[in-house]
Amino acid sequence: MSAITTIDYLLPGEIVDNLKSKDRHTIIGPGLRRNEENPNKSLIVTQAGWLRFRSPNTYWIDSRRNRYIPKKGDLVIGIVTKKSGDIVRVDIGSAETASLSVFSFEGATKKMRPDLNIGDIVYAKLLTAHKDMEPELVCIDQYFRAGRLGILSNDGFLVCLNLNLAETLLNAENPLLRTLGKKFPYEIVIGVNGRAWIKANQAKDVLTICKTFEVAKNESEKSIIEACRQTK
Amino acid sequence: MGENFDVDLSKNLLEMKFMKKTKEQVLKKRDDAEGQAMYSKQISDKMRKSDGDIIFRQASISNCKNLVEGRLSFGGMNRVVEKLMESDYNKKYFDAEKRKEKDVSDEQMAKEYSTVVDTLNKKFRPKKQRNQKFQKPSTTEPLV
Repeated sequence: MSAITTIDYLLPGEIVDNLKSKDRHTIIGPGLRRNEENPNKSLIVTQAGWLRFRSPNTYWIDSRRNRYIPKKGDLVIGIVTKKSGDIVRVDIGSAETASLSVFSFEGATKKMRPDLNIGDIVYAKLLTAHKDMEPELVCIDQYFRAGRLGILSNDGFLVCLNLNLAETLLNAENPLLRTLGKKFPYEIVIGVNGRAWIKANQAKDVLTICKTFEVAKNESEKSIIEACRQTK
Repeated sequence: MGENFDVDLSKNLLEMKFMKKTKEQVLKKRDDAEGQAMYSKQISDKMRKSDGDIIFRQASISNCKNLVEGRLSFGGMNRVVEKLMESDYNKKYFDAEKRKEKDVSDEQMAKEYSTVVDTLNKKFRPKKQRNQKFQKPSTTEPLV
């Protein structure tokens, strides 16, 4: 993967042009929207933050926001809040609750419904996320397989992280999760909406992980790597 | 065999058994030509070229930053998840490690290699050319 370059610090409403594209396609991540006045050539910024670019054609805004804004393709952790017929409402931390069909689980049919109850935690993918519509979740991929998505069991703990920490932890180069894994066995699910579900053999281990995240929140990436190197 | 379908083959010939493939090709070509004639009036030059227009595609932050799928297991807590991690998390981790270990980057290697090629090239040149001395360019001439 090519390196990420930082272009500039931008404020909402500023216009980004001179975009690079590959085969006339450009990929835009969070914080950017099409500019209505010149829809085919430029973008408009919706969040204050650093404009980042990865060749050949990806742009996004890196900000320090705390509120999660749904984006198509995000893998999130949600809590079931309401059941109504074939659709359940799921709280994913965004302004609006998302909808999740009971048929969008692996092997689900009209007769074979998944066992979904209010208060259950699901790890799901955002199928649609549009500013004028409610977000829609699914628990299967394009081949109708669950993979790692689905209902998370009741013997785990749900904690809230901030968005930046969730993104840092999901970077495979970050050694924090591996270093913890050497100390004790555990399973973790981190959603890009800043929530984490932790399961370990002992409650002590879960607390250790929570405390580690609490500390890591205020540390730079460099100091996290250094701390992990020392505990080896 | 140079196939030239500009020559009109007769209908009876195309119906013959051994001409099956050729018949398909001839029919396809005729259809294409018909289609083009039909729509050529509606497709303007601007539509064909559309200079500089970009198609924007939305993507998740995980695609932008190349993040891993969030469900991970360590120390054998969930074997199924650990198996699925192999292709995603472990692969990205090893790639990152490899990049760090490499003491000569690909770009540097390419640069070094090209100089080696140059020196070897010199070796195989006739002696007359090899011994040519570098001449300082005259200052009056423009550089470019």
